[in-house]
Amino acid sequence: MRVVIMGCGRVGAGLAQQLATEAHEVTIIDTNAFAFQRLLPEFVGKRLVGSGTDDRTLIDAGIEHADCFIALASGDNRNILASEKAKEVYGVKTVVTRVRDPLRSEMFGRLGLQTFSPTKFGIDLAHQALVTAAGGQ
Amino acid sequence: MYIIVVGGGIVGYGLALELQRVSDTEVTIVELSASRASQLRDELGEMVVHGDGSEIAFLERVGARRADMVIAVTADDGANLVACQVAKHWFGVARTVARVNDPRNEALFLKLGITSTVSAAGAVMAQIETSLPQHTLVPLMALQSAGLKVMDMRVQDGATVAGHALRDLKFPTGVLIAVVVGPNGARVPDGDTVLTPGDEIIAVIPHEAEHLVRAMVTVNDGM
Repeated sequence: MRVVIMGCGRVGAGLAQQLATEAHEVTIIDTNAFAFQRLLPEFVGKRLVGSGTDDRTLIDAGIEHADCFIALASGDNRNILASEKAKEVYGVKTVVTRVRDPLRSEMFGRLGLQTFSPTKFGIDLAHQALVTAAGGQ
Repeated sequence: MYIIVVGGGIVGYGLALELQRVSDTEVTIVELSASRASQLRDELGEMVVHGDGSEIAFLERVGARRADMVIAVTADDGANLVACQVAKHWFGVARTVARVNDPRNEALFLKLGITSTVSAAGAVMAQIETSLPQHTLVPLMALQSAGLKVMDMRVQDGATVAGHALRDLKFPTGVLIAVVVGPNGARVPDGDTVLTPGDEIIAVIPHEAEHLVRAMVTVNDGM
């Protein structure tokens, strides 16, 4: 499948490499070319400097023919804007959005975006670890 | 009425000054930058609050639940979109207005249920259109839900409608001529009102009839 990834942080870069080794066609976008240093030299996907909220960048990334779009930039609001655009304007079938704020993640999830909140996972894991360690005191 | 303005830049600041003068209106300005917020606070006082206008917990604290309107005018379209969507869907705010910095985002914002958008490009265009001598149709306000627009038009010399009484004119269905402004001031027209070149008309027009009305009021459509 054709995947556009917004944001080449640790998660974006790692996901891009994993998908590329599975023979998916990957384009990764970041506003800062420096971020691409996180990609291993053998990464065969396309790297594109630009903002995922910008229509021209999205079109250059092949959004019009993409099967999936995933927003993993640092700002929640930018991820939401880019995802709504991918879904509503470019008709991308599968759109996944990282929203750090658990409340916003929940709300936009209810509005129809496929969101996930790493903060929520973190809270749950920390809570579980703490409660387990304390052994029901 | 309680209005929350998200963004204390030049637009938000100007808006706050205007809204301050409206009676029975309470305004809160939300500004993300601490230094900008304290600078605004020195001038505008308690109405300025330092915080993130797209953060649900923070909006709750500044009373979003009882707000009648949220106006998001930051330089970041993502923040404006999210502030308005949170206001509408989480807090049930009836009217949301978003500034659109990138004009290409406008259609998306409206599709996502923002009540109305303001774009600098759009405002400048309207300003330019009004100052053109042959200015004909200037959109004043869009009534999104009803598919209507309030337009300001000027009757051109030699236009189809010029010199005719309203009763003899076949405007498209749904067009409502609300006010006619002539040399003797504004009047509410009736069937006998004759449209004279130079008259200004304020009309409510269905979106799809805009080009038909334009053709009737102007001589040639090209500007």
